[in-house]
Amino acid sequence: MEAKKAGISLQDACAQAGARIAAMPAKQKIVTCPLCAEQFLSYEELTAHYLAEHPGCVAPVKLRMTVNGRDCSLVVEPHLTLKEVLQLHLGLTGAKQMCDRGQCGSCTVILNGRPTLSCNTLAADCDGKTVETVEGIAVNPKWQPLIDAYCRWDAMQCGYCTPGFLVAAKALLDRNPRPTEQDIKEALSGNICICGTYPRHSQAILEAVTYMVKGGAPNA
Amino acid sequence: MPDTTGANGLREDFRVVGKANLPGLTSYAMATGVAKYGTDFTVPGMLFAKILRCPHAHARVLSIDETAALAIPGVLDVVKWDDPIFDELGANPINGGNRPKYLPQEAHYEGQEAGCIVIAESEALCEEALKALKVEWEILPFITDIQKGQDPDYPQIRGPELLAGEESEYRPGMATSDGYQLMSKHYPTDPRREGNVTWNIKVDGDPDEGWKKADFTLEYDVNIPTCISTIPNPPASVAYWGDSMYKGPGQKIYIEGAPHRRESIMAMYHKSSDEVVQEGLFQGGKYCDWGLRISQEVTPLLSKRMGGRPVRCCNTREETFDLNRNERHMHMRLGVTKDGVITAVEDNTLVDNGAPGSSTMGSVSDRDWGGYYTLKCKDITQRFKVVDSNIGYMHTCAQFVPYNWDSITVAFDLIAEKLGLDPVEVARRNLHGPSSQDDPNPVPSFEASLEIGKKLMDWQWHPAGTKRLPDGRLHGVSFRYAICPRHSFMDYFCKLEYRDGVVHFPTQGPIAGWFSTECFTMIAAEELGLNYEDISVDYDYREKHSDQAGGSDGVTGHGWIVKECANKLKRKILESAAREANRPDDAYRGVFSFPAPPSPLKGATADELDIVDGKVVVKADPSRFVPFSRATKENVTAEYGGYSPKSAWVTGFGRILDTMNTSWCEVAVDDETGEVEILKYCVVPDVGKIIRRTSLESQIDQVVFFTQGCQLLEEFIQDPETGVKLNGNFLDYRVPTTLDVPEVTKEILELRSGNGAYGASGISHNLANSHLIITAIHNATGVWVDPPATPDRVLKALGKCEIGGSK
Repeated sequence: MEAKKAGISLQDACAQAGARIAAMPAKQKIVTCPLCAEQFLSYEELTAHYLAEHPGCVAPVKLRMTVNGRDCSLVVEPHLTLKEVLQLHLGLTGAKQMCDRGQCGSCTVILNGRPTLSCNTLAADCDGKTVETVEGIAVNPKWQPLIDAYCRWDAMQCGYCTPGFLVAAKALLDRNPRPTEQDIKEALSGNICICGTYPRHSQAILEAVTYMVKGGAPNA
Repeated sequence: MPDTTGANGLREDFRVVGKANLPGLTSYAMATGVAKYGTDFTVPGMLFAKILRCPHAHARVLSIDETAALAIPGVLDVVKWDDPIFDELGANPINGGNRPKYLPQEAHYEGQEAGCIVIAESEALCEEALKALKVEWEILPFITDIQKGQDPDYPQIRGPELLAGEESEYRPGMATSDGYQLMSKHYPTDPRREGNVTWNIKVDGDPDEGWKKADFTLEYDVNIPTCISTIPNPPASVAYWGDSMYKGPGQKIYIEGAPHRRESIMAMYHKSSDEVVQEGLFQGGKYCDWGLRISQEVTPLLSKRMGGRPVRCCNTREETFDLNRNERHMHMRLGVTKDGVITAVEDNTLVDNGAPGSSTMGSVSDRDWGGYYTLKCKDITQRFKVVDSNIGYMHTCAQFVPYNWDSITVAFDLIAEKLGLDPVEVARRNLHGPSSQDDPNPVPSFEASLEIGKKLMDWQWHPAGTKRLPDGRLHGVSFRYAICPRHSFMDYFCKLEYRDGVVHFPTQGPIAGWFSTECFTMIAAEELGLNYEDISVDYDYREKHSDQAGGSDGVTGHGWIVKECANKLKRKILESAAREANRPDDAYRGVFSFPAPPSPLKGATADELDIVDGKVVVKADPSRFVPFSRATKENVTAEYGGYSPKSAWVTGFGRILDTMNTSWCEVAVDDETGEVEILKYCVVPDVGKIIRRTSLESQIDQVVFFTQGCQLLEEFIQDPETGVKLNGNFLDYRVPTTLDVPEVTKEILELRSGNGAYGASGISHNLANSHLIITAIHNATGVWVDPPATPDRVLKALGKCEIGGSK
């Protein structure tokens, strides 16, 4: 009998990330009123319901985004942040809530190619934009040496802030594929880790760069 | 004492233990964002709840008019503190029993949950509803300045219900949420309460004798301010009720977000383990934080109220900015001989007791252990003046305990300064020997750590304010020692199973950030002759084994239990394999059976077998083997519980000199700008034995992160007029970032003399400190700066700036 491997492998985790992306609804078939939970078959029915039942309340808005390569058409409340929409509407949990106000970097995503704090970004402002989350990075084999290096070097303890660091690291490598240690420290200085794992991030990213150039990351 | 009382404690041939760069069991899930923490869980159709928080430092809810809130479309309910629904809740055994009122009417610090919970269709609606409530608060006297609060004439801030029982053996007002009450034992000789002050006095030896031996008296202050820590993920949960196949419809609780000791939810809701489902593992960095928050416990109750509809209760960061260290002012008097030997210690501590129920680990419970008890000096007086306050709630035991390591660090520096001695030499003269306070021998672990630390630092101590660097900045150095702690006082448990050819390690988790299950898996693999990857770790919320081991400190004692369990399992597997190999010929077993070829192990007894490289082999002839996966068809289970062995070098609780560490700091201080730069920070711990190198090193980085933050950056500010927090967020309360933390030079020693697995001990707690950097700044400048040593405070201490330093 073949022994099970201890824990969750890189491939398992990336497959789960892929499954989360695949499970994102491309379009909401049923639209729920956020004030009374009544359900409707179309956005037009919902707005009519608002006029009739909740006059004076601001109705949800339509939003189209490309998230991790998939087009999504959503109906969201205008006050929701991008982070909230990713979690509540699309089921993606990689962007984390830590500070609520753009100080910790845990919610970092890449919006139209730039690292962006999703807790400080209104989803309604992302209409027509492309969003890349850590799940999207995980499913791209190019970045698996980076994830592997993070895990081999324990560039995490509790792991809560780690996806935000990884997204910031990926954004750094997008614009600077051969960063110095100082480049890394500066690029990650907007991310807070309560477990104090900072020195590990430089180590992991520098190692990942090596493997990304020459190939052969140990577990990727 | 080395691990000689168990199996293979003196092992030298490590294949798995000590390895670096083995990814954590769930690291890939954490890194890729698929790991779900409390705030990440959502359930279709869920409602949202938020708890009212007190906007005053101390106030009682007199009335709540919820009419306007309930008029908001989508706001469904407001549950008040006196609602009988809360009476349904049982005690949470981990939180030390029921709170007097589950949702309090009276709040003892700004931001405390009190008064009511609102339930609505969205979180935004909850917030709107909270704003729409008409809450009548009775504002009560408060203390956020303990210097003022100690005045006997200051109005008493705790009502009679909270003071009741103080005359009994234990002081409930000082009890923690996690069973540390024993450490705050009331001494009948202590003076009675005066206003907001309780006393805790401890006298060891004969102070008069100690003072008689002294040639001079050293008097100084060590001021340690409040600091904050936060669980990275603001505590949250989501729950609903489902059908139980056996107990009926709506009898089963599904809850996520409360993974810390799952017994809590079962006990509170009077349910068995089969009736509470909580599969989530990840709880974020809850370092020594033992309590669940209301938001993590109350959602099943709210779901029940809402007819079983799922309810999610979340917090914001600002709502969960908790204390990690209570404010403390130590006025120290030491009797010292002309040779630098301390003969008498008098510690007069004024300390914040926090809000009711705060952990005594922040106030008095470290008085029996730590730095004072490593001294040859036996005459020690500790007078704790403990002031009730409304500063905040201390859920945690902090990383910094015991605080008396810091008063000793400063003492060695001051004695060195006065006598012109190297503080390392002062430490040497004061540290007692390993076996007792009368033991004159050097402590091997300390000496080994010193030797390496001095080399790494290129250690050259100089009197304060006497050295400038070529760039003109002042140069300072400092040194401290501590023991390497371990939680060997805790009772641990382990179960391992050999099932279908695989060794399973079932555990309830949770996963909190210290890689303990990984360490245990490595130990089990080591002892079973397997690879790390061969052990199947089965996360199951119904299992007894919990990862709540106590960081690296706990992993080692807990690891000893795992080691013994693995050896028990190994023995049982070999017995089973031998039994199976030596069964009588089975030709008569049945008409359809074919005679099996004899086992390669046939004829061997269990004693003659071993497990090597994934095979069960005959020791005398390793060519005779069966793969480990076919060792036996039986299911074999081993359990082991209890404590790791007692250290030979122990003189009391937390007084163990078998494994020690030294920390060293070198700073440059710009006396024009007040800026402090850490040039070098070295840590040389003797951890006994490294179990998992990568995470061990990470934990050192973590405590230096805490240490540097609280000495150079972090400042908790409350408005003196209102007691309201002014910087309860990461913008205004600065924690270190990648650009702030120093590189930590580490050399880890393995002298194998701890009393955990293979002679291991931990490192985390006692490396955190409040005064190593501050002492180096003193060595540079000749002046003491109270932490945090921000540039304005440094300049103020140097007399170059009139403003600055908020206290």
